Amino acid sequence: MKTYTDEQLIADYLEGDEKALEALIKRYLKPIYSFVYRFAGDAQVVEDITQEIFVKVWRNLKKFDQSKRFKPWIFTIAKNTCLDWQKKKRAVPFSVLDNEGELSFVETIKDPTLLPNELLERQDIIATLNKALENLSSKYRMVLFLRYNDHFNFREIAEVLGESINTVKSRHRRALILLKKLLTEL
Amino acid sequence: MRKDYEKLFTHLKPAEPPAGLFDKIILAIKREQELQHTRRLLFGFLFLLVVSFITTPISWTILVNQIEGSGISYFISTAVSDFGTFTAMWQDFGLAILESMPITGMLVFTISLGVSIFTLRLFLHRKRLLLEYLMYSFA
Repeated sequence: MKTYTDEQLIADYLEGDEKALEALIKRYLKPIYSFVYRFAGDAQVVEDITQEIFVKVWRNLKKFDQSKRFKPWIFTIAKNTCLDWQKKKRAVPFSVLDNEGELSFVETIKDPTLLPNELLERQDIIATLNKALENLSSKYRMVLFLRYNDHFNFREIAEVLGESINTVKSRHRRALILLKKLLTEL
Repeated sequence: MRKDYEKLFTHLKPAEPPAGLFDKIILAIKREQELQHTRRLLFGFLFLLVVSFITTPISWTILVNQIEGSGISYFISTAVSDFGTFTAMWQDFGLAILESMPITGMLVFTISLGVSIFTLRLFLHRKRLLLEYLMYSFA
């Protein structure tokens, strides 16, 4: 079966092929749902936000610049919708590790981002990782998930988050340091 | 390093969307499409309503003025009062009446009347949809 690129599907939809939109939604339903889930957690809320994201995508599809990539675009919409939801909820996730400035001492350690091998072999790795990620602030968690779960490169993460590529790189590094610290402590 | 973390993250089970979510999204998009269509229809209707409200009385005034200035009423009243002469010279009368007809006024009035009738027809055909949309918007 022929696999169409996102951009081809968009072009087909804009030419009147409704099935192309359905294929595009099917393709991104799981990654977007998963992305929102990391943000909101509550299944009903996640469902509502996911629905809202796809309606927004449909509404703005005509404005989408087809010379650009669709994946960062849809994730940007997802991120903005999640942030809107968070603003409405008025519950900004609290983390004692939120302050980027407090990390300088950790960064002085030689190659602090390398994972110890034994960590990957731990039996309770899922629970430990989940706990560690819960303790990370959402901005760090977001960078890590986009990088290692959704397989984005730094440029794409920067596009999604609306930050400079250097900010993303430094946030990624800090996030790894914090994650490693949390994983070894837990 | 990246591979290590990617391996680490594979331990996390991605959240699975519930079974009916895809259909809900498609339904929400369809609903939004209908809303958009109704909104366009409403704006079209309002535009036509305003246009016909303005143009109908103006075109009527133009038509009346042109009729008064054209002398067509004189030819018609003569034809009615002296029917014998009219039947004898109907071709000349007909030509004179045709020549004095206020074509521009009639054309403008016919168009604006057409727009008014179309607007009324549009409202009568889609009144439920339009009223429901207005009630939904202002509720």
